[in-house]
Amino acid sequence: MALALLLGAEAAGIEIVRRRPHLVVRIDGREHEVVERDEADGRTRIELDGRPLALACAADGNTRFLRLGGRNLRVSLVDPRDAAAAGEGGGDEIRAPMPGSVVTLHKAEGEAVLRGETILTIESMKLQTALVSPRDGVVELLLRGEGQTFDKDEVVVRLASPSAPGPSEPAPPEPATAEASPAADAKGAA
Amino acid sequence: MSVPPPFRKVLIANRGEIACRIIRTLHKLGIAAVAVHHASERRARHVREADEAWELAGPTPVAAHLDGGQIVEIARRAGAEAVHPGYGFLSENAGFARQVAEAGLVFVGPDAETIHLMGDKIRARDFAAAHGVPVAPSVTPTGDLAAFVAEAEAIGFPLLIKAAAGGGGKGMSIVRHRGELAERARVAASEAERYFSDGRVYAELYVERPRHIEVQVLGDGQGGVLHLYERECSVQRRFQKIVEEAPAASLPAALREEICAAAVRLASAARYRNAGTVEFILAPDGRFFFLEMNTRLQVEHPVTEMVTGLDLVKAQLEIAAGGGLPLAQEQVALTGHAIECRLCAEDPERDFLPETGRILALDEPAGPALRFESGLLEGQAVTSDFDPMLAKLVVHGGDRAAAIEAGLAALDRLVLLGVGTNQDYLSRLLGHPAFRAGRLHTGFVAEHAGDLAAVPPEAALRDAALVAAALGFREFRALAFETPEPYASMGGWRN
Repeated sequence: MALALLLGAEAAGIEIVRRRPHLVVRIDGREHEVVERDEADGRTRIELDGRPLALACAADGNTRFLRLGGRNLRVSLVDPRDAAAAGEGGGDEIRAPMPGSVVTLHKAEGEAVLRGETILTIESMKLQTALVSPRDGVVELLLRGEGQTFDKDEVVVRLASPSAPGPSEPAPPEPATAEASPAADAKGAA
Repeated sequence: MSVPPPFRKVLIANRGEIACRIIRTLHKLGIAAVAVHHASERRARHVREADEAWELAGPTPVAAHLDGGQIVEIARRAGAEAVHPGYGFLSENAGFARQVAEAGLVFVGPDAETIHLMGDKIRARDFAAAHGVPVAPSVTPTGDLAAFVAEAEAIGFPLLIKAAAGGGGKGMSIVRHRGELAERARVAASEAERYFSDGRVYAELYVERPRHIEVQVLGDGQGGVLHLYERECSVQRRFQKIVEEAPAASLPAALREEICAAAVRLASAARYRNAGTVEFILAPDGRFFFLEMNTRLQVEHPVTEMVTGLDLVKAQLEIAAGGGLPLAQEQVALTGHAIECRLCAEDPERDFLPETGRILALDEPAGPALRFESGLLEGQAVTSDFDPMLAKLVVHGGDRAAAIEAGLAALDRLVLLGVGTNQDYLSRLLGHPAFRAGRLHTGFVAEHAGDLAAVPPEAALRDAALVAAALGFREFRALAFETPEPYASMGGWRN
């Protein structure tokens, strides 16, 4: 039985190996003994492999903010429903990196964009930032107009899915180059 | 001895950490503090700490704090005798200074004419040049882009384009090649128009690897000016300071004297009243050029307070009350070294973009040679309404190395959870060999971007974090313990 977590943006699993006499967990093949001790001040101290953790922690829903080892770390519980959704065409959406508003739309719906080309300029706390296309493609949907606001992580642009039928022609096979590895060649031929 | 306070009641036309900092001095002097706030800030710390608080009406929190007419009216009705503008907001607004004076109140700062003079970079620059303060070769500001481009080309490259009315990096751009000039000028002018309703831009010679050195001055308004030595604010990101120190990391004594004398000359010529800062660019070859004068208290003023032992807000109030300069130049002595780190809600890994969230846990470091300046309370939301600066961590040490160690220790002790911050980035910055060696310039952050980037936590820390977090999740406890404990029994987990 494993619990799926995110440390920052990185996925991690924590597995329970034993519960008695002490809890033992496994992470990436490493086993750790975990003991919780109630302190006189009413707090609970965590001991990992016999060593107490100097820890500060705050909770917000499924996210834990930790100060540990001289660093701030963020761990989130992965909701199985979110995990399923994340697989679908992540590269087709551009999400707002921060809350703010749209200053300028540089592209219209249906217009072609190249990788790295600016689709829109946004502003947050007086800072302007260009949101660029993650790949070559076609702007399918602009979800916010100029002057409209959005929240952090909200989808603001959707690119047409490359697999969707459309005017784009299938890319010609890459010409073999000296740098191409045998594995890449094999993949290209498939 | 008992000296009567310069005022009985002062309104603070500001918010956040600077409002709290001003309140502290007001209370020390036995002066009542009047706070103003938008409806969204009713529970803010500056509101709680003030003796009375008045709500400002306004479509947005920032608009409310920029409504000078409303603030003057509140000051009058509250019976305040003076208005302290802090920094930002209305602090460098000549119209506001005039409104305050016309209402028969004292503006804690220079008069409207001086603010007007220094508020326009070109006017200020011409004034500086006229009084023998060195300025960088530059192009006259204009709204005529074709003329601008022609003149700018004549100076040579690299060039720095700036907005005539600008600040905070808005409308600023470095042009390295002739081919980029026209387009960069157009963008800068449109940004300037958007932010300052003034599309005039100018350009000047861009100094490579420049240091930002600024001089704190106090003026009596009659031409009497003293300086409190310099601060170095070379470590910047997005053209905004993040680490400041006093004195500068390494400055030959003769050069320091020269720079401070230039600042005094400028402020004296302007018959400057109150606290102000003259900013310079220092080139690697020792040439220095006037940048601008800030006619207010600076964000980074605490480093000067720590090395001089003075309270700048107290000095401001005394000067505003007509008490003249609080000390003579010979009485200003420097002791040790001070460093300020600006703690911001931002993500250094994503080009310092602002972060939002809620302050879920706050445990401030404390100590005799340490100031944690903030307006923060646990539970407070961090929104995009205001600037992303959350707090300032200011430390003092016997020398620069000791100040760096004190800064690192304080950053390590600070617990501020619930919103992404640059806390760990600041630790990496202070600990960087080039910072320790004092090899500073305004491109420091970009130059060392690779070294300063966060590295993934090593396996032991990673596992510890995952275990610690997991123990806080009901889902994990249900799996780990046969009898799930009630969630509420988990003392020690701060919510």
